[in-house]
Parts: sequence; structure tokens; C-alpha cells
Amino acid sequence: MSEIPDLPVSNGRRSILERVSLVWLVPLAALLVSLWAAWQSYADRGPLVDILFEEATGIREGETELRFRDVTVGRVEDVGFSDTLEKVRVTVRLDPDIAGYVDGDAEFWIVQPEVSTRGVTGLDTVLSGVFIEAAWDSVPGGLVAEHVGVPRAPLLRSGEEGLSFRVTAGSGVQLIGGTPILHKGVEVGRIGPAELTADGTVARAEAIIYAPYDRLVSSNTRFWDTSGFTFSLGANGAELDFSSLATLIAGGVAFDTVVSGGSSVSDGADFTIFADEGAARASLFQNDGAPVLNLTAIFEDNFSGLTVGAPVLLDGVNVGEVTNLNGIVDEVRFGDANVRLSTSILLRTSKLGLAEASTEAALDFLEARVADGLRARLVSASILTGGLKVELVDVSNPALAALDRAGDPFAIIPVAPAEISDVSATAEGVMERINNLPIEELLEAATTFLTSANALASDEDIKAIPSDVRGLVADVRAVSGSEQVQALPGQASELLKEFEALTADLRRVVEKIEAANAVDRLLAAVDATTEAATGVGTSVEGVPALIERLNAVAAKAEALELQELVAELSEAVQSARLLLSDEGTRALPARLGDTLAELEAALTELRAGGAVDNLNSALASASAASAAVESAAADLPDVIRQLEHLAAETSAAVSGFGENSELNRSARAALRDVQDAARAIEKLAQTLERNPNSIILGR
Amino acid sequence: MERAHPDKKVLTARQAGLVGCKNCAEAWPIETQRCGRCGATLASRDPKSLQRVWAWWLAGVICYIPANTEPMLLTKTLFQDEASTIVGGAIDLFVYGDPGIAIIILLASVGIPVAKFICIAWLALSVQSRALTAPATRHVVYDVVEYIGRWSMIDVFVVAILSSLVQFSAVATIEPGPASLAFAFSVIFTMLSAQSFDSRRIWDSFEPVERAP
Repeated sequence: MSEIPDLPVSNGRRSILERVSLVWLVPLAALLVSLWAAWQSYADRGPLVDILFEEATGIREGETELRFRDVTVGRVEDVGFSDTLEKVRVTVRLDPDIAGYVDGDAEFWIVQPEVSTRGVTGLDTVLSGVFIEAAWDSVPGGLVAEHVGVPRAPLLRSGEEGLSFRVTAGSGVQLIGGTPILHKGVEVGRIGPAELTADGTVARAEAIIYAPYDRLVSSNTRFWDTSGFTFSLGANGAELDFSSLATLIAGGVAFDTVVSGGSSVSDGADFTIFADEGAARASLFQNDGAPVLNLTAIFEDNFSGLTVGAPVLLDGVNVGEVTNLNGIVDEVRFGDANVRLSTSILLRTSKLGLAEASTEAALDFLEARVADGLRARLVSASILTGGLKVELVDVSNPALAALDRAGDPFAIIPVAPAEISDVSATAEGVMERINNLPIEELLEAATTFLTSANALASDEDIKAIPSDVRGLVADVRAVSGSEQVQALPGQASELLKEFEALTADLRRVVEKIEAANAVDRLLAAVDATTEAATGVGTSVEGVPALIERLNAVAAKAEALELQELVAELSEAVQSARLLLSDEGTRALPARLGDTLAELEAALTELRAGGAVDNLNSALASASAASAAVESAAADLPDVIRQLEHLAAETSAAVSGFGENSELNRSARAALRDVQDAARAIEKLAQTLERNPNSIILGR
Repeated sequence: MERAHPDKKVLTARQAGLVGCKNCAEAWPIETQRCGRCGATLASRDPKSLQRVWAWWLAGVICYIPANTEPMLLTKTLFQDEASTIVGGAIDLFVYGDPGIAIIILLASVGIPVAKFICIAWLALSVQSRALTAPATRHVVYDVVEYIGRWSMIDVFVVAILSSLVQFSAVATIEPGPASLAFAFSVIFTMLSAQSFDSRRIWDSFEPVERAP
């Protein structure tokens, strides 16, 4: 019992190491480890950022990740609402090493599965749930604690380069968000979600063209819509056109830089998307950047058919287009409650041909022209479609009006009554006229005529004419070409020389008359001459008969029908041939030659023997002989006239068979020969008639 | 209860001038330094016992905190990643219609460890303050604590088995969370704490000498 108190004593002796158990190191270590771990996790914890979204589709606290380039850089810690419950506030714990990059330009959007015509995106989120994707540049700009999330992924992701610009949908173009931009079939960009402008007039969208293709875009670049398809039925047959199946479904926008030399484009530029390639290209040449002038024209009549985009013509030149159409009722202004057509017109000042293309210059120009009677009026653009266009024309006797430069919103140009042709009336009139044409009668007459012509042409007599005419021509040619006739002028000239000689002789004879009495002999010679002249007269007697027959032929030809005429003609031709082939006719020149020879002989006699005694009677006889010759010759013009008449008749008859037929040509040639022959004879006759003494006197 | 009546006078070995060898249970006179049979050091009372108890206990409590705050299981399935703490997992089980298992997990992972902490602390405090609670009762508590301590590891076993069995690559994977390690340490430390307790001191409160120095 007494030893027990020793224990506390022995306790007091022990050192502190002996008294304190080493086990205390264990909780100490545990505490240190815990504290270190706690501090570590606290120190490693990144900052919080708040992101405001319209809605937090699928976001879950503690699970939804924040990803940057598909690497998890944060996690949603809290999902709540903004102060006014208008937005969802998603609080994200960021990784501390990227926190510095989450500056003002960081963008956040929620990635969720999306099935569209362009394919399926965000498929991984189907299994893993949605996540928040973030994009920021590579320059740390200090943490910004609150961000506003964007509704969808931006077109240009972080690290991507490209040209960002704005596109406006032209008329007839439907902007579809996410549409790819194609260049020669390669996707080089994308169109962002489309939205309407504040006034609701046009749709526009952000668009992007990725580097390095952004340098393909210049101020001369034009975009057009390639979505859908066009079907055209034309001269080349039916044509179905679409650029690809993908664009057919999902739409597409293509562009091209048609004209080089455009200036480079910076971010934020504006482009228009045209309905088709043609319009896009055409616009490049239309829109030259010159200022445009807007006008208003208020038309009294309200015609349908005028559309936005209809051309505006000034003196036939396309200077602009209709940009807007509105009905307008203004009882105070117009005095009645009729609906008028208020048309906005856009004029391109460059098209007006002014030295200075400016709106003011154009207004001044128009004002002057309006004072001279320039008016706007509606005219038919196409009879078939009933489309209208606006024409600026000078009208005669215009009502007094002036360009209202104070018009709101645009200057108001006075108008003239419309000139619109009613398509149905015009077409009906045309059809009626066509209908009234006597086509059947015409055809019948033509048929009859052709039948008659055929019968006539196939007639044997007609067929015989060419050969007859040819024979006649040959005969005439034979006559005119006979040696005697040809020799006639030569003989005549010889005869004249003889006459000269004779005259000289006569002078000598007259001198000798006093000396020698040769009158009796001369008288005898004159008698012989008279005989000779009579011979000539009888030989010429056949000619009037011929003329009479020809006259009869001509008379008959005038009286008879064509066929009979032809028969008569051929008869006449035959008669003419007979006559020409008559011995007497052929002998006529020879006889003339004989007569002259006799005359010569007589003169020779005269020269040889003294015929002074018979001089007076001889002269009287010579005079009578000359008269006989004259009367014989006087008949010649008649013959010639008759021949000419016959030739004219024949020519008229022959010309009825066609201008250019072989027969006609031959006939004409023949007739020309006949005429030539007649003219030759006429010439001779005229010479004889004009100066019958020339035979005797040689002049 | 019958044998541990407070009023009953108990004669301890120390009062009898004896010391027992803890290795071979041979009784020796109290002055004896070493056991003559097995050679173990003899001590009537372990003077650092309470210190060790408190040290292990504290380490156990420290480890128990992250064991509950950190996730126990990391479940990765095709659709989601899930990290559940002990209590969270039990609540999930309860909510999703498995209250039995939820209660078992709660008992094994929360109830028993917490009860152990309380019991050990109470025993240690009662020894220090020589409280008059029936020593027999306190011994029963001590026995229960020591016996039941190992069952707290059931949660760790579940985690170990699940994470070794459920490894189906992307479809489903279960991995032990940081809490499992902390929880295992916590259980180990509390077991060591309970073992460090010198149960002989339970009876010291009845020693009149000690009470009136």
C-alpha cells in the first residue's frame, strides 16, 4: 500500500519526450496534411465568372463543363437568375491558368446537338450533355467577371482569320442562316443568322469568308443565291439548273469578282445578295457608284402591271428603275378620295449623261426638261405580259407643271396620261384582220391562173413560135447579109462618083452642045432611062403587096385572140419568108445595080456622042425618072413603118411569154435584127428622099 | 450490471501488490520490471495510454472530416460523371427507393464511427475524471467499441470491390474518391485509439488511494 505513491514521483523524473507519446505526431501529421490539402484546393481554385444566357438549356450545376478548343477549362458551379429574372446567370469556376484570358472579348455559347439541313452538329453532347464553349483571343487582358453569352457559335471562331462583312438580301432572295458561301464550288465562308433591319424592309446577315480566300473579295465582288433550282423552257429545250444537291436543300451563296480593279474590302463592308448570277453580274455594270436621284411620280390612274424594278426610260435610255409602289389617298391634296399610284423612281445620275454626275445637277437638268414639257407616264413594257414601265417623255402641249423639289420624301415629277395598249384588243384586231384575208379565193385564182398558164405553155403552137421566129430572123439576116444589099452603099458611092464625073462631063457636053447636035440621041438615052426607071418601079411593085399583107396581119393580130395571133404570126412569118425568098426581091438590088449600070451606059453614051440636041427632053425625062424613083422610094418609109409596126406587135406578143425565157430572148434578138434591117433601109430611103439629087449630083 | 455495482468494493491487482503480464498473463509482484516468463516489460498502469488514445482519436477525427466532405465514389458512366459523398450517396439511395441499403451505409459509415468517437472520448474522459459510472458498464462499452470498430471498414470494402469490378472503360467506371482513403485512415486511427485504451484504468476509480491523495 505504501509503495503506491511512488508512481507519481517516478513520473516527475521523466523527460518530456518520455512523458509525451510519439503517437501525437500522427494527428499532427493528419492535421498538417488536411490543412495543406485544404489550402492547396483553395489556392488552386480559379476565379468565378458569371455568364448571362437567354436560357440555360441542359446546363447542370457541378457537371456542365466550360470548354475552350474542346478542352475543359471550367465547370458550372451555380445556375441562377439575373436580378430581374430576365436572364439565366450561370456561374462558372474557371481554371486559374486561363483566367487571365477571359477578358472583355471572350464569347460564350451553349453547344447542343443540332440537326439541320447541313448535317448534325454537337453530336457528342447527346451523350455527355451540353457544354459551354468559349472563345477568346490569345492576349490575356485581365479577368472580366461578368459576360453575356451569345445565342450561337460565332462565325469566326478564335484562332480563325477571315473577312467579316454584312450581306443584304436583294429582291427574291431568301437568306438562310448558316448557308455556306461557295466560290467555284468550294466552301470558303458562311452566312450567319439572318435578321430583319429595324424598319423591317430588308433582311441582312453577318457573313464570313475565311482566310486565305478573303482576298478574293473586292469592292467589285458580287454575291448571288444558288439555292433552289431554275427550270426554263426555251429554244434550247427544257433546262433544269441547280448547282448541287446540297445547295438545293440547304441553300448556298456564290460570289465572283467579275471585273478586276476593285478596291480591297475591310471588315464590316456591305454586300447585296442577288437572285441569280445574271443579275449579280448585270449589277456590276449598272451600279457605278454614281449618286442616285430619287423621284416620286403620282399617277392618276391605278393600273396593275407596274412592279418594283420596272425600268425607267428617258428618251428610250434606261436610266433607272421603280423602287417602290404605294397607293395614296389624300383628299385635301387632290380634291377627291381616289386612290393614286405613288411611285418611287430611282434615277442613276451617271446615266443621264451629265458632265457632273450629282443629285443636284440631275435635279437642275430635270427641272429644265420638265419646264419644256418632260413628263412621266406609264407605258406598256410588254403587250403579252401586260407589264408596265415608266417613261420620261416630252409631251406636246403639256399642262403647265413644274418639278416639285420640295416634295417629301422625294422631288415630285409631273405625269402625263398613260399610254397603255390593251393586249386583248390589239390581239383581237390582229386576229380579225388575218381572219378576213381572202386566202381561199386567192388560192383558187392562183390555181386557175397556173392551170391556164400551164395549158398555154404546153400548147404546140406556142412551142412552134421560137422556131418560126428563128426562121424569120434567119431570113431577115440572109436578106440584110446578102452581098448585093451590103454592096449597095459601095455601089451608091461609086454611082455618086460617076455622077460627079457625069456632071463634069455634062458641063463639057453643054459646052459641046452648041457645036454638035446630039439632042436626038440624048432623047433616046432619056427614053432608055425612063424605061429603066419604069423597070425599077415594077420591081418595087411587090413591096406594097407585102406591106398590105403585113398590115392585114397586124390588123388581125390586133383583133384576134392570142392563139390566133400566134397562128397568124407564124403565117405572116412564113409569108415574109416566102417574100424574102422571092426571086424578085432578091433581084431587087441586082436590078437597081443594072439600072445604074444602064444609066452609066447612057451617060457614057452621052459622053461619047453629042446629045445636045436632045438636052431639054433629056432633062425632062431625067426629071420624070427622078420622080419615079422618088415615088418608089416614097413607098419605102411605109414599108419600114409597117415592118416596125410588125416588129412592135411581135415584140409585144413575144414579151407576154416571159421576160427571160429562151424564146423571148431569141425573139427579141431577131426583132432587133429586123429593126436594124428596117432602120438600114429607112436610112437609105431617107437619104434618097431628103436629097434625091444626090444620086445625080453625088452629094 | 450485477457484478459492476458501484457500491461493491473491488480489489484491484495494484491494491493487491501485483502486476499482470499483458503478454502471458503471469502475475508478478508489483515491483517486478520484467516478466520472468516471457520477458515483456511489466507495468501496472500504462502512463501514456490516455495520451495515445487522444492522439489516435484526434487523428481519426481529422481524417473523418474529409472523409465526409470529399466524394467517396467517382462514377463515370456514358452519360454523366457523378461524384457522391458518403452521406450524399446514402441519401440518393434512400430517395431512389433503397432505404435498407441506405440505412446500412449510414450506420456503417456515419453511425458507428461517430458512436466510436463518442464512446472513446467518453471512456477516456471518464477515466481521467474518475467518474462514478459503473465500471462494468464502461467495460462493456469498451468491448463493443473494440469489437465493432473493424466493421466500419465496410464502406471502404464496398468502394474497393466496386472500383475493382466496375471498370468498363467508357460505359461505366467507378473509382474511389479521396474520401475513401481518408475514411480508411479514420477507421484505422479510431481502432488504434480504442486499442490504446488501458482498460484496467476503468477500475481505478474505485481505488480509495487514488481518490484521496
